[in-house]
Amino acid sequence: MKKLINAPENYVTEMLEGLVACHPSLTICGDSQRVVRRSAENTPGKVGIVSGGGSGHLPLFTGYVGQGFIDACAIGNVFEGPAIDSCVDAINAADSGQGVLLLFGNYGGDRMNFEMASELVAMDDIVTATVLGNDDVASASPEEASKRRGVAGLIYAYKIAGAKAEQLATLEEVARVAQKAVDATRSIGIALAPCRLPSSTEPNFQIHDNEMEMGMGIHGEPGLWRSELKSADETVAEMLNLILADLPLAAGDRVSVLLNGLGATPLEELFILFRRANQLLADRGVEVVAPIVGNMATSMEMAGASLSILKLDDELEALLTAPGVCPFWRVG
Amino acid sequence: MSLTAADLSLAVDHLASKLEELEPVLNSADSRLGDGDTGTMLARMGRGLADVDLESTDDLGAAFMLLTKATLASTGSSLGTLIGTAFMTFAKTTKGKSEIEWSEVFAMVDDAVVAMSARGKSAVGDKTILDSLNAIARSTESATDRDEFVTQARSGAQTALDELRDQPCQIGRARMYKEQSIGMDDPGMLAIALILK
Repeated sequence: MKKLINAPENYVTEMLEGLVACHPSLTICGDSQRVVRRSAENTPGKVGIVSGGGSGHLPLFTGYVGQGFIDACAIGNVFEGPAIDSCVDAINAADSGQGVLLLFGNYGGDRMNFEMASELVAMDDIVTATVLGNDDVASASPEEASKRRGVAGLIYAYKIAGAKAEQLATLEEVARVAQKAVDATRSIGIALAPCRLPSSTEPNFQIHDNEMEMGMGIHGEPGLWRSELKSADETVAEMLNLILADLPLAAGDRVSVLLNGLGATPLEELFILFRRANQLLADRGVEVVAPIVGNMATSMEMAGASLSILKLDDELEALLTAPGVCPFWRVG
Repeated sequence: MSLTAADLSLAVDHLASKLEELEPVLNSADSRLGDGDTGTMLARMGRGLADVDLESTDDLGAAFMLLTKATLASTGSSLGTLIGTAFMTFAKTTKGKSEIEWSEVFAMVDDAVVAMSARGKSAVGDKTILDSLNAIARSTESATDRDEFVTQARSGAQTALDELRDQPCQIGRARMYKEQSIGMDDPGMLAIALILK
């Protein structure tokens, strides 16, 4: 598996340097230089929103720093949670005195580090609330939904919480809509080929050329089953069924659909998948609002896709469609 | 006999050089169920620990706090944070002390297991480094000097590794591979056993 890099140990630093050089709306900060914040001054009276996670998933997580999205992001090494110092620096960067929402995926390292960071900033009287993305239906059963991991659907929570914070809502309110968005989002992924960590010599999992794995996580976590490669229509129908088993939809419901590429799958194939998902939802009388097709949460050169569905109500739809801009997503 | 800052300095040097040497072995162990980067992460942590100037203090608590900070700055992985949590627990116990009896060290390890368990929401038996540390605490209860401690800790870590090998992983990413994890060593537990060899 070939990579265009200089040295594995410089992978994250050089990636961040390029990212902020291309997007002047972003600035690197913090002692460890592993925090990206908005270049603009914090808005007085606005709740800050911080996320964080390992590298290797761009545009997730850092690419969603922007107006109406998240304010700062703590960045870890590839597929590692951000260090505690970075979490603390990100919280400080986002704080305007109204409290900070910590909104990140449900992973052990990330959770422990943000938990310790929130205890540390509490000594400086910064109030935090935490909402964990856990949209991946394949990662645990409905009975153990709290163990589910956060994948691409987290960006819906960014958008919705970000729009609420722009209205100068309280931390409690911003956390409430973030949790509401998480609760209304389900995702499932399909993998066709693995990726390789820059520091590693081997791919992160093995899969035969003619095989696919349903439900695989964004770090190659095992999925539900592996089989011979199926057609796009068959595949996406099954993905949709797995989501609907967990998030029932009825005629008249409105949803947003995110058809996300994991890195190495062409947009063409993502649109072929989206086309069928859209048809199947229309057949059920479900209306698709503000759909997104693209590489929004990746795993480096992993091949495959994920489907996320956000079930809307009036409040979520208004926040989803409110103006907002970050390097990888613009609304309005 | 007591543990001093000089012992700590020797232990850190040993740890760092061992972790450097074990990088490919631990990466390979991790690649069976994980990303294949545990060895690289621990080697980076070892370099961070080796850079700590332990000569600057003879207060064991201050020394352990420096090691805590170096650990937590070097990685954000859950294993790293748990190791940092252990160092922080040692720092609290040894605050203001320039030495501690070797016979008291097992109790410090027990305290670390409790703190790590709370932080990581995991328990002894889940097949993690908690099992290694718990076994080390049990095997070193009668140790009165450094040599005894190291010998007994080595045997405890190996016993835990052997006993848990055929158990399924119960937490973290490896819990998703319950069946496959049977017969495989947890990379963190393996690291502890190999460092003590």
